Amino acid sequence: MIETMKVANSFPMWIIAMLVVGTVIFQAVMFIRIASRASADVGLTKSEVRAAVRTGAISSLGPSFAIIIVAISLITFIGNPVTLMRIGIVGSAPIETVGASLGAQAAGVDLGSPEFSPQAFTNAVWVMTLGGMGWLLFTALFTKSLGKMEAKVAKKKSNVTLMKAVSTAAMIGAFSYLGGSEMVKGVNESIVFVVAFLVMPVILWASNRFKASWLKEWSLGLIIVVGISVGYLLL
Amino acid sequence: MTISNEVESEVVEQVQGKAADNAIDFETFHEKSHFWGRLTIWSVIIFTMSLPLYLSFGLGFHPGWSSILAGFMAYAAIVAFVWVIEPISYYPTLGVSGTYLAFLTGNIGNMCLPSASIAQSVVGAEPGTRKGEITATLAISAASIVNTVFLLFVILGGSYLITMMPDSLTAAFKFVLPAIFGGVIAQFALQKPLWGVIGIAFGLFVNLGPVPRPLQTFLCILGTVVVCMLLEKMKNKKTA
Repeated sequence: MIETMKVANSFPMWIIAMLVVGTVIFQAVMFIRIASRASADVGLTKSEVRAAVRTGAISSLGPSFAIIIVAISLITFIGNPVTLMRIGIVGSAPIETVGASLGAQAAGVDLGSPEFSPQAFTNAVWVMTLGGMGWLLFTALFTKSLGKMEAKVAKKKSNVTLMKAVSTAAMIGAFSYLGGSEMVKGVNESIVFVVAFLVMPVILWASNRFKASWLKEWSLGLIIVVGISVGYLLL
Repeated sequence: MTISNEVESEVVEQVQGKAADNAIDFETFHEKSHFWGRLTIWSVIIFTMSLPLYLSFGLGFHPGWSSILAGFMAYAAIVAFVWVIEPISYYPTLGVSGTYLAFLTGNIGNMCLPSASIAQSVVGAEPGTRKGEITATLAISAASIVNTVFLLFVILGGSYLITMMPDSLTAAFKFVLPAIFGGVIAQFALQKPLWGVIGIAFGLFVNLGPVPRPLQTFLCILGTVVVCMLLEKMKNKKTA
């Protein structure tokens, strides 16, 4: 286990992990640039572009914190650089833990046990890497085809209205699924869900009533603070 | 668009210092999204693969293909369906650029989608429109940067700060998710109350009913879309 962690935290591991997260940041910077350049064409003003970027940044603070708290638990099993690399790209901490455990078990040991050898670690890394590759490959290969299908549909005016409605309904469906999966976890989760459901309209109402658009930008951040506070009191 | 062409034009614009105010139209934006999206995702595929390859053959810790395959098959049984179903299910809300971003940085449901939908409501853009897609791209990019930098910072040095936090507080962080989902559904339910009810009904049904785990997301989104569209059709007939 000690030797394994030495390997897991060695310098080349850090270099590869840095290349991966560096690419993620580079991609986001590039997309902000090209999206800003296309903003005038879709009727967004300069200040709206800044508001969208600000809102994204603020809204991600709460989730980032929650993600990282779970991710910390992975460090003791697979070391810092591999945790950085796996959590930095698609795949949540819980699913990566599953991948790492299955990889270690296939090599005949349990994740984090004293017998967790460099070979078992390598096996775990293989399984996590190949398992996470599915999303990346599908996205790299087929997003263009999905886009072509969409462009074909968008040629007719009536289809555009339909696409708007479908997107909104799809968004509601996605969040309802995610919300439902939280509610079935327990009573406390359900209470937090309902409280958030009731407080959000109040924030949005206040933002309109007092013409405070910054309040809207902070709405998700505030909701998360409310949720954690209510949850803290319930525990 | 070839790699050398695109990189060359990028470099030329950089050198001439006009990249920032050089406006492009939406079609060019999509072309550039495909280019940079694919380039970055393929790079990450290569970088991530180099790690196990280095461990196996650089350091000589190769565990043998059969045990790699055994572990991978067990893992794939859980996630393989999701590889295909997730990008397709989320595509209508993320669009081309959002898909490249969200599936590279991860945390689609808990971070990317909520950030995008709040930003869309801030600037008054609807999902599924061009304005909506550009807004979502800006918001998801910013979220991705904040998330990645935050992660980097914590892993490099700050992880002991979190271990110092009282357990009761770290435990309360599991309530971040129900809070986000409750809040965002409320935001939509304000505009389309009935759609919200249908969505939540499907959400509870797929989670509680006898629906296999990998199919749940897909069925919930599909069911909500189909029922909402049928309702919309009925309403249009009545008013017509």
